[in-house]
Amino acid sequence: MSHAATAETKTWGGGRSPFNVSYGKIMMWFFLLSDAFTFSAFLISYGTKRFFSAVWPDANHVFHAFPFLEGHNLPLLFVSLMTFILIMSSVTMVLAVHCGHHNDRNGVIKWLTWTIVGGICFLSCQAWEWTHLGHLTGGLWGTFTDSGTSPHMYEHFYDVKSAAYTAASHETILQSTHSFFNYFFTITGFHGGHVASGVVFLIMVLINTVNGTYDKRGHYEMVEKIGLYWHFVDLVWVFVFTCFYLL
Amino acid sequence: MSSHNHNDSIQHLYEGDQSKLYSGLMAHHTDINSPESKKQVGRIWKVFWILLVVTIVEVMLGMYSYELGISRAIINSVFLILTLFKASYIVAVFMHLGDELKNFMITVLMPLVLFIWFIIAFLADGGFWLHMNTTSPVR
Repeated sequence: MSHAATAETKTWGGGRSPFNVSYGKIMMWFFLLSDAFTFSAFLISYGTKRFFSAVWPDANHVFHAFPFLEGHNLPLLFVSLMTFILIMSSVTMVLAVHCGHHNDRNGVIKWLTWTIVGGICFLSCQAWEWTHLGHLTGGLWGTFTDSGTSPHMYEHFYDVKSAAYTAASHETILQSTHSFFNYFFTITGFHGGHVASGVVFLIMVLINTVNGTYDKRGHYEMVEKIGLYWHFVDLVWVFVFTCFYLL
Repeated sequence: MSSHNHNDSIQHLYEGDQSKLYSGLMAHHTDINSPESKKQVGRIWKVFWILLVVTIVEVMLGMYSYELGISRAIINSVFLILTLFKASYIVAVFMHLGDELKNFMITVLMPLVLFIWFIIAFLADGGFWLHMNTTSPVR
């Protein structure tokens, strides 16, 4: 009989929430944790391949174009703009979550709309970047597999004056170019897929907000959950940015 | 009329009962225009400026590190430290993990310790492979 009495006071015995976090939010955190491992597996595998290789494409030479400014050499400028857009959309998202905490419906609608706009801008930028890389520089997923490829096809991706480049064989450079673009399109594609589905979720949450679903429910926890997802996508971009464009 | 016709009765099947928990740490009962709320908005914008400035510094270093002649190893460690610095702000403030209970923070962050092994093991393996298979000077 004393057994029942002790069970009730145990923190982990059920019937209470030791973390003071709802089931849905905990599961969103755990999902994001698993997603973090997926992204890290990609990025660490990219790093491993890079350590395997004596020579590697140079970010300042691969990413130096800007829309409507063709022919100008503007290293990293466009990707900085993309990063800025994503940071900005993260801020508008956290402001939407903040308004949700205070049950301010109009505030949630305003900031969610800006977040959706930011997400669409980011995706458009990525579409431009992919198109540019594929059509104007020849770098696409699965390219550079033919050993007969002329060095003119890849030399613009490299710092040709570097000791590593001059010492490397044609096959080594070809293989590095191939790996670089496979990893680039796989990882930015997987990230872009997250952004795209995030935009869809944000639109669904926005529709519910406008319909007053969360006012009826009494809280805006759904905005908080989609906020966690959106900030995670921004977080992943911080690492993708570092790995592909800086290191 | 039977209870089946009430739309509101469906609500609790989704999240209604969870709202009891929701009255915990994160829910505020103050007005959006209250000083507490304004203080939090100020904090959010402060983090935005931190993220922006750090990103600009990173891009500048990325563009001019060759001309400055700083070694790749130093530049790369600076990039990694700045990246982790940005990531911690996003997680702590934007994702509100810093406002959760300590036990929950530990539960979420603990599995990430695996990355220490993950990164060291795989990169060391890659470097060793290159060392064993190369006849030309490495980078």
